[in-house]
Formats: sequence, C-alpha cells, structure tokens
Amino acid sequence: MLKHSVDNRIFQGLREKMEQGLLPQWIFTDPHIYELELERIFARTWQFLAHESELPEPGSYVTRWMVDDPVLLVRTNSGEIKAFLNSCPHRGTQLCTADFGKKKAFTCPYHGWTFNLDGDLIGVVAGDKVYGEEMKKDEWGLRPIPRVERYQGMIFGNLDPAAMPLDDYLGDMKWYMDIILGRSDGGMEVRGLPQRWVVHANWKVGLENFAGDPYHVQTTHRSTVELGISPQDPLYAGYGHQVVLQNGHGINVITATAPGKPQRPPYQGLPQEMWPMFERNLNADQLKVFAKTTVFVGSIYPNLSFNSPVHGSEGHLHNYLNVRLWRPLGPEKIEIWSWFLIDKAASEAYKEAAYKGYVGSFGPSGTLEQDDTEIWARIVHASKGHMARSKDLSYNNLLNYLMGLERVLPDETFPGPGVAYPTCYLDAIHRATHEYWLELMSKEEESAGENGCES
Amino acid sequence: MKTAVNPELQFHITNFLHYEAFLLDSRRFTEWLDLLADDIVYRMPLRATRERKDGATIVEDMTFFEESKTSLTTRVNRLGTTSAWAEDPPPRTRHFVSNILVESGFPNDALTVRSCFLCKRSRAGEIEAEEIFGERVDVLRNVDGQWKIAARTIYPDQAVLGVKNLSMFL
Repeated sequence: MLKHSVDNRIFQGLREKMEQGLLPQWIFTDPHIYELELERIFARTWQFLAHESELPEPGSYVTRWMVDDPVLLVRTNSGEIKAFLNSCPHRGTQLCTADFGKKKAFTCPYHGWTFNLDGDLIGVVAGDKVYGEEMKKDEWGLRPIPRVERYQGMIFGNLDPAAMPLDDYLGDMKWYMDIILGRSDGGMEVRGLPQRWVVHANWKVGLENFAGDPYHVQTTHRSTVELGISPQDPLYAGYGHQVVLQNGHGINVITATAPGKPQRPPYQGLPQEMWPMFERNLNADQLKVFAKTTVFVGSIYPNLSFNSPVHGSEGHLHNYLNVRLWRPLGPEKIEIWSWFLIDKAASEAYKEAAYKGYVGSFGPSGTLEQDDTEIWARIVHASKGHMARSKDLSYNNLLNYLMGLERVLPDETFPGPGVAYPTCYLDAIHRATHEYWLELMSKEEESAGENGCES
Repeated sequence: MKTAVNPELQFHITNFLHYEAFLLDSRRFTEWLDLLADDIVYRMPLRATRERKDGATIVEDMTFFEESKTSLTTRVNRLGTTSAWAEDPPPRTRHFVSNILVESGFPNDALTVRSCFLCKRSRAGEIEAEEIFGERVDVLRNVDGQWKIAARTIYPDQAVLGVKNLSMFL
C-alpha cells in the first residue's frame, strides 16, 4: 500500500522541486510519508536518549522512548551505560514504568522474571521446576538497543546495528558540541527532569525551527520586542553565521550584533573566572568563535535540537543550554522533551539565575516558547486538505525555501568547520536538512531486510 | 490536618478563589495581579512517575512556573502587546476550583488553603478542549481586611502535560 502512494516517481518529483528551493506542504502531515519516516529515518539514525548526568551512579536508571520503542537506560555496577528495550522478553510487558530511579535489578510484575543491571536474566520463578535445567537463561536476557554511543556526555541510541558510528554521524557538529557542552571543567549537568508536553505539530517543524530559522524570531517573538526584552533591530537574530553540516545537522552561530556596532560581552556573558577553563578546553579557533557568539541554536538530525542563549542585562547576563527532543507521536503530534543544562563549574547563584531565565523564556510557559507551539499547530490545521495534500504538486502547494538560494555565498574566512554563510537569515540548513531527508527516504531497505525488521 | 470549622471563613475563602477564577476567565489580568501579594512566590514543579520506595512524585528542582510578582507582571504585560499569538485571538478558559480546604480553624493573618483545579481551554473552532488539572496549595494573607495570595504552588497531576503551552495562569 505504502509503495503505491509514495513511490520513486514521487521522490523524483520532489528532488526536482527541492533543487529549485521548493518543498511540498504535504511532506509535513502525510500519513504515508510518516510511516515511511519511521522505517527509513527513525529505525536507522541516531536518536538522543539522555545526558550522562541523569545517571549519576551504579543502579541509576531512566526510561525513555525512541519514537514508539520504550527504552530502559541504566548505569551498571561497572559504571557503563546500557540501553535495553523496556519490555520483558517473556511476554512483552513493559518492565519499568517509573521515569527514573535507582535499582539493583528489574522484576517483571507479570511472572516475576528478574534481570540485573547488565540485562541478564538472573531469576525465574520456580525456574528449574517448570522449565527444567535445559532452560538457557543467557538466551533470555533483556533485548539491547543495538547501538549506544555518546559524545560530550550526550547518549544516543540507534536501532540499526549496521549504522555508521556516532562519531562519524555527528561529523563536524562535534566541533560545535565541544564549545556548547565541553567548554568548562566537568562539562554540563541536567537540572531536575526534562519538562514534557504534547503539541499538535509535525516533528520536522520543531527540527526546522531550531535548525535554521532565526528568521522567525522577529515576528513570532515580536511580543518580547514590544516589551523591550528583545532588541528592536529586525535583523538582530540574523547577525552571525549559519553553518551547514553533514547528515542533516546545522547550527546558527549568532552574534546578534550589527557589523560596526560594539561587541557584546565575550563568551555569552559567562563569568570571567570561567574564561581560563575555556582556554584549557577549547582550541584557538573554537575560542575565537565562542568569544563572539551570543546564541548557538541548531539541530542534530533527526529530532534533537538545542539552544544556548543569553538572557538578562549588562552585569546580570546568564547563559544555559536547552536541549529539545521532538518525539513523533504521529504525523500531526509530538511529545516535546525539554532539558535544562548548565555548566557544573558555574556558581550556585549563577545556576539559579540561569534556571529562572530558562523557565520564564523557553520552558513551556515561557514568554518566547508560548507562541511557537501555537503557530506550529496552525501549520497542521492548514495542511490537512486536498489543496495542501495533492501529490501532483498542483495548486501551488510548494512552500518557499528560497531564502539566500544562489544569492548568499559561503564565508571562507569563518574559523569553524562546515559550510558557513555570513547570515542566519537563510534557508541553507533547511534545504540541506530536507535533502538528507529525501536521501534517507528514497533509500531502499537493503540493510533493514537483513535485520528482519521490514514488515 | 486542621481544617476550617468557621463557616464564615470557609465562605470568604471559597468566594475569594471563585472570584480569582472569574477574573482569569474574564481576562481581567491586571485586576488578578492586584490579588497577589508583592512578595508572592508562584511555582509549578514537575510531576514524575516514580516507584513508591523512591519517594515523592513531585520534583521541586524543575518547574513549569518559577515566578515573582515582577515576572508575573511581565507575563500579563505581554498579553497586552499586539503580537502575543498564543493568546490572540484569545482562547476561552474556564477555571474550575473545588475541594477547598482551609488549614486553620480561626481567622488569622495567614492561612494555608488547598484546592483542586481543572482548567479547560478552547481554541478557535477546535472541538477537543485542552485541559490541565491538579492541586494548588496557597498561602493567603490578610492585608488590611483584604485577602492576598502570598504563595501558590501548583501541582499538576500529569507527568506529560496535554496542553500545547502554559500561556494561561493557574
């Protein structure tokens, strides 16, 4: 059925339009596209699971989701981090229903099978009497998530055993992650739990909004300009560089300062006593970029985004890292997970001020956050009909991704890796992200067939 | 727990909370701010799903609201701008407040009041209404014969909220 509605002819048509900077409205809400995304994108790419500070000691665990796969993430007695399908291999019951906690072993409430932190089956109720000595317990451990790897404390999982290593997948994004996550001694830590809420939106819209859309700031968040919280200059979120990276990733390195205007305080206004740490932990080019930056905002394909902004006024500036996961719940619904991270090495007073700044701005009640989700929901509302959904690409249902196309050229002098353009008001990342989407979507399932996960 | 034995006090407090809900649902936000003490602590921690042995299901370290009178005033001012898209056109909210327990038997200059809340929100032509519900614990203070909210802690019952944003006050 799927193949009839979304076939290669459709993808060929898409490719031609995307080369012209156009993207059909229906790729955001079409149910067939969504089903194919689950197979060809989410079953093959690296998805964020947790930050390692969420698993502080042996026995710590959190439960997470990779779209619809429940995941149990634990720190073992040897300090290793392991991820399992959170489903008992005996009858499939969800094994652990708590969000987080600490345990020595997990016992299934259905028949009492018990697993240790390494996922080994260590207890079967009346085992020898009912299964006999021939039961091979080592064949009935928890099913591992095929691949779990981490970078700068960020733990990712992949359902495809043949996936490229996380290091290769992140590519040059690692250079920027070093700045955002690895600048200070001890790295970052998560405060409390992620906030979670459900929004009528497609996962690609959340991804786009953080990956390459500083252009929306001046209109979507104009209420904060009216209040005097954000600058008046309609170009302010555009100053800096938009950097296109490999595998659909992208980052905006925003200086928020017009050329020739006085520079903002260096290092995102972080306290001067922390600067020597940056010099220790970063190389000269990273320092140069970091010194000038006010906001880092971007996305790691497919559904992880981050925002590292500056709030407050002169003398009381604070910075933090907000990490967002857009968990798809269907073509028109996402569960947003939003983490607050802060430098472990910062003072308690600084951490507290930064946390309050986050809750008031980018948390779900935030003065900046509120309006985004309202607008994303309106995309869904307006994209259900025949005109928006027609795959003949008639009715002019092609959306405009033309900003800067063949008009803005890369800035060869930018010190960081990737293709850096000298403005953030640009659709370069969006175009690259959707090209990667098309590449994954049109790839036949050569490896999926072998793994037997093709239905 | 000592609950109100004085029917008159129970009546006053109930009326006060109903009046507050009326102001919020009528979008009379500036008048609502007048009900708040200048040093109000207005918080909404997260609910988590935890095993009983691991303790409380409220996580105080992270919140949905962590507000002062100043920051609440900024939020109200934002609603007065021309570009608060989440609230323009205005959604319709209805705050239902019930199970009001006044934790003191006698009129005093400070009372702890527990209540349950259910806030329903209707947007545009959507048939499905969003909702959020839970418990509130308030500290009310009597200032020159007027009750003021000196502290409010909102405990949501959901670990994953079913509202697209928290552009309302609870």
